[in-house]
Amino acid sequence: MPSRDDSPARRLTRCALLTAIALTIFMAEAQLPPPVPIPGVKLGLANIVTVYAMYLLGPGDTLMILFARVFLGAVFSGQMSTLLYSLGGGAACYLSMLVLRRIFTKRQLWLCSPMAAVCHNLGQLAVAAGVMRTWAVLAYLPYLVLAAVCAGTFTGLCAQFLIAQLEKSGKK
Amino acid sequence: MTRPVKWGLALLLLLAAASAAFLLLRPGTPGTVAVVTLDGEVVREIDLSALKEPVTFTVEGPEGLHNVITAEPGRIRVDSANCPDQICVHQGWISDDLVPIVCLPNRMIIELRGEGAQVDAITG
Repeated sequence: MPSRDDSPARRLTRCALLTAIALTIFMAEAQLPPPVPIPGVKLGLANIVTVYAMYLLGPGDTLMILFARVFLGAVFSGQMSTLLYSLGGGAACYLSMLVLRRIFTKRQLWLCSPMAAVCHNLGQLAVAAGVMRTWAVLAYLPYLVLAAVCAGTFTGLCAQFLIAQLEKSGKK
Repeated sequence: MTRPVKWGLALLLLLAAASAAFLLLRPGTPGTVAVVTLDGEVVREIDLSALKEPVTFTVEGPEGLHNVITAEPGRIRVDSANCPDQICVHQGWISDDLVPIVCLPNRMIIELRGEGAQVDAITG
C-alpha cells in the first residue's frame, strides 16, 4: 500500500524506526532462555515487524529492514557465528513472503505467517546442513516445522492485530 | 473461508500432523557408537557399549569455542561449553539415534549410530 507521502527522507526515517523497533524486540527476546533445548527454535517476535513491513511498505523496504536487523542483531548479541543461519532463514522467509503476500490478505496473516515461518526454519536447516557438512541435522526437521507453525501463528496474529489497530486509529 | 485459506490451512495442518506423528511414532534404536564431528570432520568415535567407565574429553573448535563431553556406557552428553546459547548442554544425555546433539556456534555434532557402524578407534 503506497503511503501518502513517499519522500525519500520520510521513507528512510520509517525504515530506520522499524529497524530500531525490530532490533529492540530481537534483543529483548534474546535475553530469555531458549524455550526448548533444540537449536533454532525461538519465538521470533521481531518478525512482527517483518510481516508488517511486507504488507504495508512493500518488498524493497522490507528487505532493507530485515537485513539490517539480522546483521545488527548478530553484532549486538555478540553471536556472529549465528549470522549465517539467520541469513539463510531470513532469505528463505523473505522469498516465501514475496509469493504469500500475493495470495493472502492482511486479514489472513495468521495463516501467511506460519507458512513463512516454516520456510524460515527450512532455510535455516539447509544452511546448518551446509555449514556442518552433514545431513544429521535433518533429524530436527519435524521439531522445527512444529515450532514454526506455533511461533509463526503467534507472530502472525500479533502483526494482524497491530495492523488492524493502526488502521482503526488512522495511522499507517 | 476463501479458497487459498482452505488450501493453506490444510497444507499447514498436514505438515504439523505429519511432523507430530513422525516424532511420536518412529522407534529409536539404542546407539552403540558415538561419532563426534567437528566442522565436518570426525574427530572421535567411541564405542559406548564397550565402555567400562565414563570418559571425559574436550573438543576445541576453530573459533576458540570448546565443548566438554562425557561418554558413559550407553549414553553421552555435553557437560559444559563456552558457546553463547548453551543449547548443547541443555540437551542432556542422549542414548539413541533419534536426535543428535548439535552445537551450531562450534559446528559440533554428536551422533549415535546403531549396530553395524564402523569403529575406527576405541577409547575408554
